[in-house]
Amino acid sequence: MNVEILVYAYFEICLAMIAFNIASALAFKMNDPKLSKKSDGFSKTVLRQLESGEADDRHRKYLRKKLRHINYLMELDGILDGLFDEKPDEVRRYVETLSPVFVYLTLEYSKKNQLQAAYYPYIIKKYRLFTGTKISAVVDMLTHMVQNSSLYCRENALQALYNIGDVGSVVNALKLLDGSGYYHNPKMITDGLLEFTGDREKLDFRLWACFDEFNIPMQLAFMDYFRFESGCHTEKMLEVMTDKSADLDLRLAAIRYFAKHSYGPAREALYSFACDTSPEWEYRAIAATALANYPAPKTERILRDLLFDRNWYVRYNAADSLERLGVEYDELVDIFEGGDRYASDMLRYRFDRKKLGGEVTV
Amino acid sequence: MSDSVFLIVKSILSWVNSFFVVYLIGYSTFLFLSVVIGSSELYKRRRQDKLKNTLFKNYYVPISIIVPAYNEALAVVSTVESLLDLDYKLYEIIVVDDGSKDDTSGELIAAFDMHPIRRPIQRKIECQPDEFVYEAICEKVPLTLIRKKNGGRADALNMGINACKYPYFICIGAGSVLPQDSLSRIIRPVLEHQNVVAVGGVVRPANGVTIEHGRAIKYKLPRNLLACMQVLEYDRSFLASRILFDKFGGSLLISGTFGLFKKDAVIAAGGYDTSTMGEDMELIVKLHEYCTLNDIPYCVKYATDAVCWSRVPENLRDLCRQRKRCHLGLFQSVWKHRRMLFDPKYGAVSFVSFLCFLIYVLLSPFIEILGAVSIVASFFTGLLNIRSLIMIFAVYTVFGCVLTMTAFFARMQTVDLKVRATDALRAILICFIEVTFFRFIMLFIRSTAFFGYKKKKLTQENKRKIGV
Repeated sequence: MNVEILVYAYFEICLAMIAFNIASALAFKMNDPKLSKKSDGFSKTVLRQLESGEADDRHRKYLRKKLRHINYLMELDGILDGLFDEKPDEVRRYVETLSPVFVYLTLEYSKKNQLQAAYYPYIIKKYRLFTGTKISAVVDMLTHMVQNSSLYCRENALQALYNIGDVGSVVNALKLLDGSGYYHNPKMITDGLLEFTGDREKLDFRLWACFDEFNIPMQLAFMDYFRFESGCHTEKMLEVMTDKSADLDLRLAAIRYFAKHSYGPAREALYSFACDTSPEWEYRAIAATALANYPAPKTERILRDLLFDRNWYVRYNAADSLERLGVEYDELVDIFEGGDRYASDMLRYRFDRKKLGGEVTV
Repeated sequence: MSDSVFLIVKSILSWVNSFFVVYLIGYSTFLFLSVVIGSSELYKRRRQDKLKNTLFKNYYVPISIIVPAYNEALAVVSTVESLLDLDYKLYEIIVVDDGSKDDTSGELIAAFDMHPIRRPIQRKIECQPDEFVYEAICEKVPLTLIRKKNGGRADALNMGINACKYPYFICIGAGSVLPQDSLSRIIRPVLEHQNVVAVGGVVRPANGVTIEHGRAIKYKLPRNLLACMQVLEYDRSFLASRILFDKFGGSLLISGTFGLFKKDAVIAAGGYDTSTMGEDMELIVKLHEYCTLNDIPYCVKYATDAVCWSRVPENLRDLCRQRKRCHLGLFQSVWKHRRMLFDPKYGAVSFVSFLCFLIYVLLSPFIEILGAVSIVASFFTGLLNIRSLIMIFAVYTVFGCVLTMTAFFARMQTVDLKVRATDALRAILICFIEVTFFRFIMLFIRSTAFFGYKKKKLTQENKRKIGV
């Protein structure tokens, strides 16, 4: 009897699974907006309005009602996306006149679940709906979203804020994100800041002004952003690099900055890092790379010494920098022919590699 | 036979039968949970993609791709060509020729105009010495060939890890094809989560699939029955246990055909173990152990949308070799790290993942054979209720088929692959054959793996010839 109950239980599970399969297959078809007749009507209305150039009040009212539902917002995205390559100007003009609709939708989408809420900032960013215009309702919603537990809500909201281009909103959002305790990859912050559409000079000034208020991962993201952005941060970077109480990673990020942007006053500090004998080999390794940007007899001498360092990466970077400085074989012949196999192997590889890089492409 | 002996035999059989019923219930429940959770996760992921809950930008985390190759002269060039075609900004390719007896290196050198170079390689992990290194600078991707003394797949991978320069590496099998977006997909968990040390990708059988420039442009089930059954089996296993284990960070297996690892973590853990056949599983178990014992925060993730196409064996002989090697590898890994079992330090990894692997994978051939023997014995001792037995097996079979089909269709519906109606019908039919026939062949093969190992000790050559 017990066995039979068990068998029936499993039999019912089987039936439930079959029902699940059929239901999910049907749900997929029904969820496809392109298959729905209602969606056809929506597409026609949007296309008709788009042809006429811009959205009138009646159309905006229609969209306010429709776009509260995520499927219609996705449908609108699909239509505009499909037409953008063909008629970019028309699409742009039409989208510009939709701003009031999206201001209205801010409240609607702030009430939706994480999955749907994240789509709204994506649309704002994609169609540059409020670029250069700070509308407090929209910015407040996006700033609030930055503290959401969903990574995608946070990232899409940040992307929209970078696109709106208001310095205060971005810095405020980053502060809130930093304080929220959620992990947000620093690489994403760096890349995002590089897409900021507003006044960069003002943004950089504000970021430096409140630099110490942020945690180390966020500070590192800013340091990388400054490195990729411009060579205008040399003085601040030198301060960080020479501050012995600063975090190791921050100081290394500053050395990397000077590897990309040459700055005379940083030279001596870089020399001292390269000659540093502390166990933290990272200083020597990255300084060895940075010195490729500071040609001088002293630089060459230090790099030659680093070829005999006990750390593999230091030797590798020193050989790389010597090659980049254009030091010729004749000037290094004593190392090539010398007794230190590590140093000569490393140099030989870099010189062979240079030769290879110039002539081989696939 | 005296009455007392008969009673003892009967009570033993009764105990074995009860154990077997509990075992089947446990397995079915595990399968049910994993397929339901796996399917819902795939649907959720698809919905997320549609609603742009995804990282649609490339953040260019640099990746090294390591391709261990042994006697792959026929496939290695096309593999590298497909890798050069990947849509990813910053990556390098390192092919490690593990002392091939054919002209694997020669084919590569000629095809990509490679040049010899004296490249110093830091031996952070022990491996056989290199014989020569060639490099080519492709348009966007540095390509390196390292020819080394034969030492097995794990040893070749260790050499690749020593030579690679980026913080994350991917190991893929020669003969596998990566879709163009596979790198940007497999790296996503690294951006989404903190402290990711490994990410598993999905391996799908390439038999029957038309692939152009790494993209599956036409999908149909393979004609070969064995390959077809493996398609269903792969879908079930990749969908089932891997997504379930991923939910609590308990993944114990990342396929050697397509997996991403954090280089520093792998080096710190000691790299691939050259003494086991299941180096892929052993590495993941070792990473769990290393990070837990050293209080290093970590997680192992599974990227459900990062796909790698790889051909599966189409004849029983090759399949036998592959499965025997896998089973032995599993045994070696479990045995080597047996102290992890029932150790609270490891949490769910120990009490769920490790235990499931032990009972439902490693010991399953023996448990199921024991079950079959007890059925026969019960029949002769009159303990067997034939009607109940038939009902149990009928429902068990239908249950297995329904779950396999759920996994198959969930996968199809969520990866934008169109399946023809005839293929769908074939899948349903083959599903029954897979559950009622193929599964038992696999059980037999796996149960004989140990005997074969003792007698013949699958040679190193076998180890490398069979790509998994």
